[in-house]
Amino acid sequence: MREFVYDVFARRERGEPLAHIGYVDALDDATAKIYAWKTYDEQSWFEMCVVRRSHILPVNRTDGPFAEGGKVDP
Amino acid sequence: MSGSLQPDALDEATRSALRRFVLSLADSKRILGIRYSDWILGAPSIEAGIAASSMCQDEWGHARLLYAMLKDLGADPAAVEHERSAEEYASVDALDAPFPDWAAVTAGMLLVDGALTVVLGSFARGRFEPATTRVPKMLAEEAFHRSLGEAWYRRLALSTAAEAQDRLRRATEGVLPPVLAWVGASDGPAHLLVEAGAVAPPAELLAAYREDVRDCVALLGLDVDAARGSDSWDAERGRGPGRPDVDAIERARGDRNRMLLVE
Repeated sequence: MREFVYDVFARRERGEPLAHIGYVDALDDATAKIYAWKTYDEQSWFEMCVVRRSHILPVNRTDGPFAEGGKVDP
Repeated sequence: MSGSLQPDALDEATRSALRRFVLSLADSKRILGIRYSDWILGAPSIEAGIAASSMCQDEWGHARLLYAMLKDLGADPAAVEHERSAEEYASVDALDAPFPDWAAVTAGMLLVDGALTVVLGSFARGRFEPATTRVPKMLAEEAFHRSLGEAWYRRLALSTAAEAQDRLRRATEGVLPPVLAWVGASDGPAHLLVEAGAVAPPAELLAAYREDVRDCVALLGLDVDAARGSDSWDAERGRGPGRPDVDAIERARGDRNRMLLVE
């Protein structure tokens, strides 16, 4: 099954900055949302979002995970 | 029919019907939790295993709340949880054997867990007061199970791998008859619950269930409207004949650690 990397962002309370808290490998957007919510459940998050890594556009770096984009496993 | 239905206001026949109904829901959730737990390790990905872990915790939490509800209906929850034989379990017979592969887990999430949710949703909207206050939180948690089940079901059904489709089709064809019989139960006790306003009529529950899963099973060329429930029925337990495997019941009862049991 093809999987994609999704980065997970969350904030504990309204008004806090949205922080990068980790990532999940998922089949699609629907499973990414569930996996993120169930994997990073150590906090009672006010808000959580996921972004497919390949949709993130690095601004100043040409190396590192965001520059490499989301992996696609065969 | 209006007004809430309090446990102490029930006649004995309705109370007994409600005990059977709640016990079947509670046992189904307990056994489903065990079936999910088998796949915490060995799921297709670590994330899927974590989701399975979360779901089995949810199911056991729901089971505990439902068993506790039996106290309102004149049963001792501790005895019900820890002292019954496999033959006394009222879980839907689609859960009698472990899920053999992830395709079966997927069918379990969408078609069995989904059936429990359809019936629980009706119970929460009914007149039985303890259900209207305790079940909504379960339904909120079940929304994740449903989403995960549907996502995996669609993925396997639309897979280019014929084996993935074949396994999912076998699992679907295996669980639909017992689940349809359970959702659409229309024997005497089931009708007493409808008359009391505790749940919707069987035809309404079946229609809601079919609506819920129709599009997904159609991806495999299956027609849930043409599928029929199993013919055999055990009216005493409110499920089909048979029983869950003994290992699952030993785990459900906590047999190996009974000496450590603290209630």
